[in-house]
Amino acid sequence: MKKVKKNRGIEELKSSYGRMFVLPWFIGVILFFLVPFIETVIFSFSSIKINVGEISTTFVGLENYDYILNQDPNYTKYLSGAMTTFLYSLPIIIFLSLFLALLLNQKFAGRLLFRAIYFAPVIIATGEVIKLLFGLDASSGATMGVSESLTSNMIDANDITSLLGLSGEIGEFFTRTIGRIFDLVWNCGIQIVLFIAGLQSVPRHLYEVSKVEGATKWEEFWFITFPMLGRVTLLVSMFTMIELIVAERGNKIVSNALTSMNSGIYDRTSAELFFYFMVSCLFIGVFIFLYNRFLLKRWE
Amino acid sequence: MVIVDKINALKLKIFKPNPNKQSLAPGRLPCRRYTRTKFGDFVMFVMLAAAGLFTMLPLIYAVATSFKPLDELLIFPPRFLVRRPTLNNYLVLPDLMAALKVPLSRYIFNGVSNAIVTTSVYIVVSSMAAYVLCKGNFKHKGAIFMIVQFSLMFNSITLGIPRYLIYSYLGMIDTYWVYILPHMAATLGVFLMKQYIEGYVPDAFIEAAKIDGAGTFRIFWTIVMPIVKPAWLTLTLFTFRDVWSEIPSGTIFTEQLKTLPQIMGQITAGGAARAGSAMATTVIMMIPPIIVYLISQSNVIEAMSSAGIKE
Repeated sequence: MKKVKKNRGIEELKSSYGRMFVLPWFIGVILFFLVPFIETVIFSFSSIKINVGEISTTFVGLENYDYILNQDPNYTKYLSGAMTTFLYSLPIIIFLSLFLALLLNQKFAGRLLFRAIYFAPVIIATGEVIKLLFGLDASSGATMGVSESLTSNMIDANDITSLLGLSGEIGEFFTRTIGRIFDLVWNCGIQIVLFIAGLQSVPRHLYEVSKVEGATKWEEFWFITFPMLGRVTLLVSMFTMIELIVAERGNKIVSNALTSMNSGIYDRTSAELFFYFMVSCLFIGVFIFLYNRFLLKRWE
Repeated sequence: MVIVDKINALKLKIFKPNPNKQSLAPGRLPCRRYTRTKFGDFVMFVMLAAAGLFTMLPLIYAVATSFKPLDELLIFPPRFLVRRPTLNNYLVLPDLMAALKVPLSRYIFNGVSNAIVTTSVYIVVSSMAAYVLCKGNFKHKGAIFMIVQFSLMFNSITLGIPRYLIYSYLGMIDTYWVYILPHMAATLGVFLMKQYIEGYVPDAFIEAAKIDGAGTFRIFWTIVMPIVKPAWLTLTLFTFRDVWSEIPSGTIFTEQLKTLPQIMGQITAGGAARAGSAMATTVIMMIPPIIVYLISQSNVIEAMSSAGIKE
């Protein structure tokens, strides 16, 4: 802005005002996001020694990554665990919320009440409340999380799986899903709202045409509703993926990193978290690529 | 008719037509009900109620538990509803805090005032940035928006250590600033506001205001902000909720500066005998976000919806 240019027209003025408007936010981003982010990356490539009042770092290359991937017995286990949770939660959350949105989009008495009920967790459930309700801090006291005590009382997942004769991995998948049922349902709030909005933006005449052509409801859903929701589904999936990745609950990597951070192991923890972040970015990238390539292209 | 062709093309792409399928006899029209039956209505209601029950159960249980007397708390397996409700769990809360020498109301006051100040700063900062990123015209706009999208994926815990170093460098440790300033890096806010401004504020409005002689800030404050009211009300709800339940770990040591969630750990550490009080605190924790929701309610759903339609 200090350079005096020849044409200081209205565009230029707008531009300098623009910078002033972005400035407070940008300072915030630099201080509390960019600098810490770069430092985390640097930490992950170095070994850290903490002396009184200062932290000294020495560059050690990929040593930390070598340690977490090849020597640490837990990290790879946690990572694959987190990724499996991620992979099976995503479709469940998306289809459950789409299903509920389809139901809630119909006209019936008490519709607003139901919408409010499904939105309630979004408002209430954060931080400490969730920890207590879902028993993340089970170690801190004899209080059992509400979710656990409820599910263990009402449904014993193992009974169901043995009753149905489900074997091996399917049974395990089933057990895990039931164990996390509250978690999953509570994750649907925003997704349902987004889907309802998407459903309402589907043009009515498409349904009329399909009715005239004699399509069944089933065909109507797969050929009209689902393709028309393409972009909304993508947005919802991204939202869900981000939520799942940054979740502290039921995510061994993040909770483990917190403990080791508190005990002062900064270098390896940085490497662990950065690697986790890169892997999740890869997953999201692959998902978006496949979605665009195979579904959106076909629909648009 | 274009639409019909498109649908047919889609059908052909996804499912190849089955040549063996029997076509309808000529002269007979397919007869099908398009309205739902009574039974269909019933099934739908049951499904919704079941899923709704799963949503509400933890909440009901929390509220019920907070009213349970000690002997009912210790029953195993735990009973769902309370038989002899008592207010005792709430009434002992001030006594539990007596050891800390700071009254309960101070924690609540800290929490509420922090949440209000932080939320206001967050909304103003992020909508100003979003307005310019959307309608402004300057270098590196694209790059800045990339940063926004990139940082959305980042858990703030990941940045815990370097952030702590910055706090201590800026002398923010053990002050109220720790609650407020980190929220200036408001990427979710910028993202949501930008989507909304893009979709709902026409350039013509801004140009007309400019011709009439309004300055950039005036345009922002009297034209853009009222139009996008639903968006920033939604953000207010989310931010308030997050700030209210936030624990800035390891950065606040003075008891007078702590908020309600920070002392919840101390209460739950009391074990099973304090389970009732812990639930009572949980219920107290739920109240402020609900109040904010009730205030902003009608607009919130609308804004969430619109953010979904825009790409």
